[in-house]
Amino acid sequence: MTDVPLIDLHMHTTVSDGTDTPEEILARVKRAGIGVFSVTDHDAFKSGVVIRELLGKDDPCFILGAEFSCKDEEGQYHILGYGFDPDSDPVRSVVETGHRYRMEKVGERLDYLKRAYGFTFPAEEIDGLYALDNPGKPHIASLMVEHGYASTIEEAIKRYINGIRFTEKYVRPENAIAGILGSGGIPVLAHPAYGSGDQIILGEEMERRLQKLISFGLRGLEAYYSGFTARLRSGMLRLAEQYGLYVTAGSDYHGSNKLIELADTGLESADALPEGLARFLKDVRKEDHDQI
Amino acid sequence: MEETKEGAVVIKLSGRIDSGNAPAAEENIRRTLEGKGTCPVVLDAEELAYISSAGLRVLLHLKKTNPELSIVNVSSDVYEILEMTGFTEMMTVEKAYRVVSVEGCEEIGRGANGTIYRIDQDNVVKVYNNADALQDIRHEREVARLALILGIPTAISYDVVRVGNSYGSVFELLNASSFSKILATKPEKMDWCVREYVKMLKKIHGTVVPAGKLPDMKETVLSWARFMQPYLPGDLGKKLLSMVEAVPHDDHMIHGDYHTKNLELQNDEVLLIDMDTLAVGHPVFELASMYNSFVGYSELDHEVIKAFQGFDFETGKTFWRKSLAAYLGTGNEKKLSEVEDKARIVGYTRMIRRSIRRGGLEDERAKRSIDFWKEKLIGLLEKYDTLLFTRNELEIEAIPENLPSVESFVEKHLEENDCPPKAQMQIGLAVEEIFINIASYAYAPEKGNATVRVEVSGDPITVIITFIDNGIPYDPLAKEDPDVTLSAEEREIGGLGIFITKKTMDDVSYEYRDGQNILRIKKQM
Repeated sequence: MTDVPLIDLHMHTTVSDGTDTPEEILARVKRAGIGVFSVTDHDAFKSGVVIRELLGKDDPCFILGAEFSCKDEEGQYHILGYGFDPDSDPVRSVVETGHRYRMEKVGERLDYLKRAYGFTFPAEEIDGLYALDNPGKPHIASLMVEHGYASTIEEAIKRYINGIRFTEKYVRPENAIAGILGSGGIPVLAHPAYGSGDQIILGEEMERRLQKLISFGLRGLEAYYSGFTARLRSGMLRLAEQYGLYVTAGSDYHGSNKLIELADTGLESADALPEGLARFLKDVRKEDHDQI
Repeated sequence: MEETKEGAVVIKLSGRIDSGNAPAAEENIRRTLEGKGTCPVVLDAEELAYISSAGLRVLLHLKKTNPELSIVNVSSDVYEILEMTGFTEMMTVEKAYRVVSVEGCEEIGRGANGTIYRIDQDNVVKVYNNADALQDIRHEREVARLALILGIPTAISYDVVRVGNSYGSVFELLNASSFSKILATKPEKMDWCVREYVKMLKKIHGTVVPAGKLPDMKETVLSWARFMQPYLPGDLGKKLLSMVEAVPHDDHMIHGDYHTKNLELQNDEVLLIDMDTLAVGHPVFELASMYNSFVGYSELDHEVIKAFQGFDFETGKTFWRKSLAAYLGTGNEKKLSEVEDKARIVGYTRMIRRSIRRGGLEDERAKRSIDFWKEKLIGLLEKYDTLLFTRNELEIEAIPENLPSVESFVEKHLEENDCPPKAQMQIGLAVEEIFINIASYAYAPEKGNATVRVEVSGDPITVIITFIDNGIPYDPLAKEDPDVTLSAEEREIGGLGIFITKKTMDDVSYEYRDGQNILRIKKQM
């Protein structure tokens, strides 16, 4: 146990749906004594670019990252990308496409709410929505609650916003994976057993998903994850070994939004740095070249 | 929110918990537990229809702050999720109980703690009397499993269900009918029932239970005897207590509620059910409860047994006496009555205590029973000084090493009846000869059991000893007597022992019946 440094490769800032700014999260990471970390905002790596500039000589080792929401006919996926070159085109185009879709969907959702229910919002609030880096359903929902159209965010999403579905306007997993690889990064499947975050995918279904993603170029599994039980963790580690994949560890920290703590990944239960994770840390392009 | 007896906070979960409301659910739980530190938490999932991984994360966090976390009343769907994801391994997860109604179902058994109903052709449910029965159910399941491991054929429950305000455990019992039902509907099966009933009883009493696995019945009976102190005149209370105290510890199994409703015939197999009263102890404690079931409870009002067992008082009494005779291995009426009396001492003590505790002294009818039993108990306590008795029958593995046990068993009976020393010696030689013969030849090269039955009757003292084995048919008497006029070198080896036996005993007879060699010797003083 003593040999395993604190590692957390999955966390969110205000650039997506976290509550800590990049500066705040860096301070927190240092206070927590984390040795290696990555910030993985949804469909964005702006925070990473900021943090990269803030890093001092003795600061923890940082890996640039992002978490891409993807969808295809068979389901939704969160693909983490690590160590890519943020200035290179392939990964930028994934982010831009995602962002464009996202903005278009905000517009279509607002139209839908107006058309179907007569919900309208002041122009400056709509502008505020578009000014966000990553506006999505929760942001629209919280406006609805403010205006009394729904009593809770949950109700707003389930009852109203989900009335319109988009099958086309999503980044496909093969595109996200290709973009990450094309920019020198490593694509990793986030919280594999939990699907895109809130499903439970195990057994054959998990393996089918995985085989497909591997055929697209997936290279790793987030086997250490704050929401996993020992059983899920060992199941994911087994799959990683079976398919020769990297292993990563992440908490999915969102600040005060969710009650997850930094570095809560289940890695603390390991006796030594898992082989797949050691390999990942060796092969991924780090911003700080101090060896772990 | 409520709190359990053990100080755990109970929180109800309802509907679905998914990414939409998991944060709110978590916040709710957190508010409920505010200021309660790391108290144990019980999540009641009776109304929880679904839990997604966002909900699982809530459980995981809660487990970290409150390690003593359990989830109860979990539906099968939710249970499956918790099992797949490994949550059942890291916290206590109890399934919700299926609701079963026993309205209109046939009652097939009844014991101290519950009633057994047939719910369909293949299954029965035992409904516990007390509402908080989950612990009893667990206990019964454990002891039933123990009994099964120790070789007692029994049914083990496979499910726990809700029945009204109580709980029930479900057993598979195919085409089974209780011995009570057989006795009530087919009186001609009486002797068969006695045989099977006693066979099982001997099996139970022949089973040694590892220390600490079952409660000691003596402790329970001691508590009854203590309770009785103020209700018995003079020194009789003390005498009762010292008689119970004098019963030696016995690590053999007793059932504790062994009557014909708790014995089932299922496809030619006899099964023991209602195992929650299983204990260890001296057989007199078992006989006491048997006496109560067949005679005691109905002694004043003969109709009582009809409602409980389905057969009449005479049938119950006959069954009891026949079973006692078969169990003890004697038809001697004096001996039977003596052992019965000793069982009655414990039996009456139990019934009086129970009735008093249930407010029987305030109830005119119950008080009549109490007075009736008490009068009999007083008479018995004046007559006897011990609760101990010996069975007239010993079943033992037929190996030469067991000869001393057989000898001391026989000697005890002879001494109790003041048998003259010379006759004792002659009988001793005959017993040795016959038992060693069985041990050497009856099952060779396999092994098997032999039964030795001793019956002593008085005036003049007559001793009959019967040896029974299931080995190859062999009549030792058929062999020609050896020619004792020849010198030792010229005589054939063997045969001398049985020759001496024939000479010293008044009668020796052999028969082969029902697959058994039955050799009987008789000595009259």
